[in-house]
Amino acid sequence: MFNRDLWSEIFHSIKSNKLRTFLTGFSVAWGIFILVLLLASVDGMKNGFTKQFNDDATNSIFIYPGTTTKPYGGFEAGRRIQFDNEDIEYIEKSFPGYYEYITPRFTKSVTARVGNETGTYSARAVNPDHQQIERTVINNGRYINENDIKNTLKVAVIGKVISDELFKDQDPVGNNIILNDLSYKVIGVFSDDGNEREERNMYVPVTTFQRLYGNTNKIDQIALTYNPEFNFAEAINFSDNLEVILKRRLVIDPDDQGALYMNNYAEGFSDVSNFTTMLSVISIAIGMLILIAGIVGIGNILVFIIKERTKEIGVRKALGARPYDVIKLVLLESVFITSVSGMIGLFFAMGLVALISPIVDAPAFSNPSVDTVTVITSTIVLIVAGVLAGLIPAIKAAKVKPIVALRAD
Amino acid sequence: MIEIKDLHKSYHMGSNSLHVLKGINFSVKEGELVAIMGSSGSGKSTLLNILGMLDNLDEGEYLLDGVPIKNLSETKAANYRNKFLGFIFQSFNLINYKTAWENVALPLYYQGVNRKVRKEKAVKYLESVGLGPWVDHLPSELSGGQKQRVAIARALAAEPKVMLADEPTGALDSKTSHEVMDLIQKINDQGNTILVVTHEEDIAHMCKRIVHLKDGVIVEDSVINQVRVSPHVQ
Repeated sequence: MFNRDLWSEIFHSIKSNKLRTFLTGFSVAWGIFILVLLLASVDGMKNGFTKQFNDDATNSIFIYPGTTTKPYGGFEAGRRIQFDNEDIEYIEKSFPGYYEYITPRFTKSVTARVGNETGTYSARAVNPDHQQIERTVINNGRYINENDIKNTLKVAVIGKVISDELFKDQDPVGNNIILNDLSYKVIGVFSDDGNEREERNMYVPVTTFQRLYGNTNKIDQIALTYNPEFNFAEAINFSDNLEVILKRRLVIDPDDQGALYMNNYAEGFSDVSNFTTMLSVISIAIGMLILIAGIVGIGNILVFIIKERTKEIGVRKALGARPYDVIKLVLLESVFITSVSGMIGLFFAMGLVALISPIVDAPAFSNPSVDTVTVITSTIVLIVAGVLAGLIPAIKAAKVKPIVALRAD
Repeated sequence: MIEIKDLHKSYHMGSNSLHVLKGINFSVKEGELVAIMGSSGSGKSTLLNILGMLDNLDEGEYLLDGVPIKNLSETKAANYRNKFLGFIFQSFNLINYKTAWENVALPLYYQGVNRKVRKEKAVKYLESVGLGPWVDHLPSELSGGQKQRVAIARALAAEPKVMLADEPTGALDSKTSHEVMDLIQKINDQGNTILVVTHEEDIAHMCKRIVHLKDGVIVEDSVINQVRVSPHVQ
């Protein structure tokens, strides 16, 4: 199959039939070129959409307790679910590596006073991890740290609005603020772009509030972020597992929809994800159609080639060419042309994509690129299908009686 | 060398059947130069095609150098053609994108001879037909007579047992026809068996034996006094 003589025969016939070679090659190269550009465009659109929709996306999951709606495990329906610190520890122990940050949340409305200024705000008792989950930006001072938690210090990180309303022009950091008649030290001020309501909140160490208000270990909500390397399915899977395990721990019917609310941000983006999946499906479908067009083109040209070469085939057979020799000659030539021109189309398209990719970064179209595996697979499919398309005429040609082939003009 | 007994061949076109060869009995010994003559439709080309294994026979027996030729697979027929037969066609049938020597070397390629030996042999045979300086020329750069000489060299290259020529001079003027026949006579002088199909009397008389075909049967088979071309060719 790979002897030098056969290849020199093939090169010879390629060299002596430039137009034919060009026509076949061009249809293959063009098909691959278009396919790669199509895939790259879809990829660019996908990137654009993902970027736009997921811009302020987080990988957070919020868990809110509710009221049971089904009797389960000896409890009647209508039981209020209450989280406590051990639930958090349990999650931490059960899912190492699955979560990135985790914090309890305990919200309380407080009356704050600085000097003569007073106001009512909501205070969130949290862990230091909360900063990453909420992406709180500290303007001044610092956020709650482990030391504050350990020593149940009366410290507070206040929103910019609170700072403006109570401290006026004064720098609040280091000064005291009276919350529900207890004095706290302000350790930081945060701001939240585009969300002024958020700036009416303040953060205090969770342990401090738990000690001061009822000396409990109860918490209102659990907030966590899943491992950022998770894809959509893994994220959903993780939150499903989390729900199952928490329901088991808190003795809740697995089918009870009201007892726990899992708010997984990943789910919110499933629409975007569905959209891009749809886009991929469409692109693959169109790619297939283009491939079919390419295959038909190759098949066409091969039929033409073989028709044109009937007489030559007859001469070769008269001189002792076996049917196998004829098929080999015709097919290897077309395989060679299709592969080489397929590669040429591939490199041109990939070169173009590589050239354009860094430049294009519009909101809806960003960094188009192609999956090498997809491209190589489609090239191989194109070649194989081209060969199959050529095989039938080649076999037919090999079967023609030399006398008939010789008579052909 | 060739032995044919009661050979029949008919062609079917739709519902019509054309009985072309109606019982041919015929044999050729080694070293003969036989002309097969007949008007068009007499079946002479059909006979040659069957002899050349380019076409199958319907009935009868065909022995080529003692080997029965019947119901061969394509592959086997190809091997026999390659080993036993050399063809010379009216329209030369050279492959137009191959040079003279590559055309001549083609049967050797199918014999599996390596490239170097192929070229040596091809050049040798081209020189023997007087085309030494044209070895690297394409068929399009050669005259009709030269093309036919390339085809003869090609038929010789495989060192066949029998050479079959179908109207070898049909596309040539009389001068080049005579040159070609001179070449064929010389090849025959070296002991090669050659069958020539022709409808031209003068060409037929340059052979040693004439077989007349008419309506699918042999009507006359006679050994003649060969007319040598050499004195006429300058």
